[in-house]
Amino acid sequence: MNKTKKRFTEAYLGIYGLWLLAFVVAPLLLLLIQSLNVPGQGFSLANYRDFFTSGPYLAMTVNSIWYAFLITVMTLAIAYPLALCLTKLKHRQFWLLLVILPTWINLLLKTYAFIGLLGKDGLLNRALEGIGFGSSQLLFTNGAFLLVAAYIELPFMVLPIYNALLDIDPLLPAASRDLGASSWETLKKVIWPLSMPGVKTGVQTVFIPSLSLFMITRLIGGNKVITLGTAIEEHFLVTQNWSFGSTIGVVLIIAMALTMALTNDKQKKKRGGRK
Amino acid sequence: MKVIERFWLSFCFFLLYAPILFLVVYSFNQGETMQTFDGFSWQHYQELWADTRLLQIVLNTILLALLSSLIATVIGTIGALAIFRTQRKLLKQSLLSLNNVLLVSPDVIIGAAFLILMTALGLKMGFLTVLMAHVAFSIPIVVLMVLPKLQEMNQDLALAASDLGAKPTEVLTKVTLPVISSGIFAGFFMALTYSLDDFAVTFFVTGNGFSTLAVEVYSRARQGVSLEINALSTLMLFLAFVLVLAYYAYSQKKQGQKTKLKEKVK
Amino acid sequence: MAAEKILEFKQVALSFGETEVLKNIDLSLDSGQFYTLLGPSGSGKSTILKLISGQLQPSSGQVIFDGQVINDLPAERRRVNTVFQNYSLFPNMNVYDNVAFGPRLKKMSEATIEEKVKEMLGLVKLSGYENREINELSGGQQQRVAIARALANDPELLLLDEPLSALDYKLRKVLQTELRTIQRRLGITFVFVTHDQEEALAMSDWIFVMNDGVIQQQGSPEDIYDEPVNHFVADFIGESNIVPGIMKEDYLVHFVGKDFDNRDAGMRPNEAVEVVLRPEDLDLTTPEAGKLVVTIKNQSFRGDYYEIMAQDDDLNLWQVQATNPAEIGSRVGLTFDPEDIHIMRYNESEEDFDARLEAYEDDETPTDPSDSADKVPEVFDHE
Repeated sequence: MNKTKKRFTEAYLGIYGLWLLAFVVAPLLLLLIQSLNVPGQGFSLANYRDFFTSGPYLAMTVNSIWYAFLITVMTLAIAYPLALCLTKLKHRQFWLLLVILPTWINLLLKTYAFIGLLGKDGLLNRALEGIGFGSSQLLFTNGAFLLVAAYIELPFMVLPIYNALLDIDPLLPAASRDLGASSWETLKKVIWPLSMPGVKTGVQTVFIPSLSLFMITRLIGGNKVITLGTAIEEHFLVTQNWSFGSTIGVVLIIAMALTMALTNDKQKKKRGGRK
Repeated sequence: MKVIERFWLSFCFFLLYAPILFLVVYSFNQGETMQTFDGFSWQHYQELWADTRLLQIVLNTILLALLSSLIATVIGTIGALAIFRTQRKLLKQSLLSLNNVLLVSPDVIIGAAFLILMTALGLKMGFLTVLMAHVAFSIPIVVLMVLPKLQEMNQDLALAASDLGAKPTEVLTKVTLPVISSGIFAGFFMALTYSLDDFAVTFFVTGNGFSTLAVEVYSRARQGVSLEINALSTLMLFLAFVLVLAYYAYSQKKQGQKTKLKEKVK
Repeated sequence: MAAEKILEFKQVALSFGETEVLKNIDLSLDSGQFYTLLGPSGSGKSTILKLISGQLQPSSGQVIFDGQVINDLPAERRRVNTVFQNYSLFPNMNVYDNVAFGPRLKKMSEATIEEKVKEMLGLVKLSGYENREINELSGGQQQRVAIARALANDPELLLLDEPLSALDYKLRKVLQTELRTIQRRLGITFVFVTHDQEEALAMSDWIFVMNDGVIQQQGSPEDIYDEPVNHFVADFIGESNIVPGIMKEDYLVHFVGKDFDNRDAGMRPNEAVEVVLRPEDLDLTTPEAGKLVVTIKNQSFRGDYYEIMAQDDDLNLWQVQATNPAEIGSRVGLTFDPEDIHIMRYNESEEDFDARLEAYEDDETPTDPSDSADKVPEVFDHE
């Protein structure tokens, strides 16, 4: 590399490094400091002690993870077969665009649609009445929250899986069939393992935002489902207890980092084992 | 195609579009609720047209998205170049990890962290703080779209350019940037999507004077249903649909050209 | 030909950390010649090219171009252009814009540029392809554009880094001839890198055979083929039968248990040497008439000849090229002429080799386009 090029590289690094420091490192560091800076007590671990000894908060943590998990499983169950069907279509690019299209409508508008659909006199309730079920409160339930969250996240699960499926050499499934595997065996033993990278990306892109869909909880779930996301929002914007809000934030970050590290390790071990 | 595949496709597309169509249908409702359809009318569109506050917010949202994506694309491309050119493995890996931090962080945390940062900087919450936050969460995605293009690029191209007498700036503007332009455009559009779709981060760092569509819909929805929102959704859906069709037609045409060329070479 | 020195390497070495890629290379190129750097991959031949083009800087020594040391001159300011192995055409430009890239950077007028592009495309037989996109071209056409693009910059020296290796056999042959024609027409110095000895022999005025970061031997194609300086060169260039022998006295060599007259001299009496016999110099005959008696082990048809593997009674394998097939398992005789025997001394440097040849061969020492007095001896290391 000659000198001018080196100088350019240094300039790029400078600009980008500065951005990383100011907008990635600084905010997260401030969040950490804020979580330790308890009003009236100075720096202490009091917030963390409170968090980990409080039943409601621990339950909320478990709840958040449980709901995020459910949302992820639901979207995966719908998205995987959908992606598989899409890859077999003639104008698959067009159909894929139709799957992506709803993501261009702001998620608040989509949530808003469900207020109408699920409302007491909403379409769904009346349809249920029509088949003979009694009218029931659908809005402001846990089920409603799960449904809307899964609906919003669905395209984000389809996309990476679809791409991973397209990346599979079409000769591989053909080879599997040639060697005597049935379509089901081919799917299980060839296509599914090969599409794992896409599934993994999909799971990550759905699981993480699912932890923080506080607006859906507020609009659809009522305040019955309190997730960590809702709690953070409440501490920051309602009760103005930034310190405790930051503590929950830090806990959330650490929990997430752990989950990701664990899933990554498992993947590596599996790969190593297969060799 | 098997029956079961057909069924699943229909079912999924019904799921995806039912809520949206529901919004569209009720935008033409003569009544004021999303419960009973009282007959066809344009009245909610007229209300929308008269609601200058909402139109202003739509305009704000679009402007914010364009501006933040533009800035994010510039910095993100520089970032991708920085990561790509860095030789030391450890530094490269740390840069990439830091880049991905915002990408994998939940929105609430980004929002909260930025609220603390902006307050610490003594900024008044408003357009500027929202813009900065949007730029910040868009940059990582731009980096991730541009970086693979740099890695795919035939590295000898830059060598060939300087071999032919191009100075480093000329290599960048005449060869490198044009070759990775598809990644840069993809990054820009992803940034645009992120910005338009964001609610949580904006909600944290916005102030009294500035609002985006998502924040506005949130506050209106908490007060109850207004079919004006349906009318707006319908218009936006229509616009998105037209864009998708245009994009599809364009990409098909391009693909057609390519396959024709391949046949010619054979 | 008035040979004017255009490029010189003085004790040029390059290492990356512990690995020595080039070990004190000395070479000198005259203008207007077609040079080839020939060697297996990893031998350092492409590294020399990168040092000339400016992609790499030497760790020590001097790269001298037109009398000036250019060690640190950036690539864009060298009057040298490269044709890359993978073509490296700019995919965002069409054929015309690719060829016009260099002239445009020089801020030539568009009329001059157009003339230049037309001329260059004519030279590589691609007239009329100006508006084609790069991905519309076949590999051979892309390589022609790459050549035109490099030549459009009026280089004094054109570097070609295995430019034909990705092409099929026939196309490679055609382009070999065309490149040679272009080089003769323009009178520019070409430095061609290849691992294909056939290609090197067919195209070059002068060949540098490289291995392990060292120039093993240099000379005209004929010299290198007929008088390989060591085992590596004999083995790498063409097919060879190499057996150990003893040089009993001048013009008398002993191998496979017999004495043979030959045409080499200048060794110590009874010096251990290696004996080279090319397969095409061996002829099959009856066992009685043969200088060696061998058993045919197997043979394969190669189109214009049969390649026969035979074994003598000492279990040495002999490769023979014959026009007629032989019978496997039969015993036959091998004959060859005294001048077909080539003797190689162990660890003889090219300098000593040349000196020895000159001492007993009063006639026709091959003419060397570079001044042979400039050559610095190189130490050979067979370990």
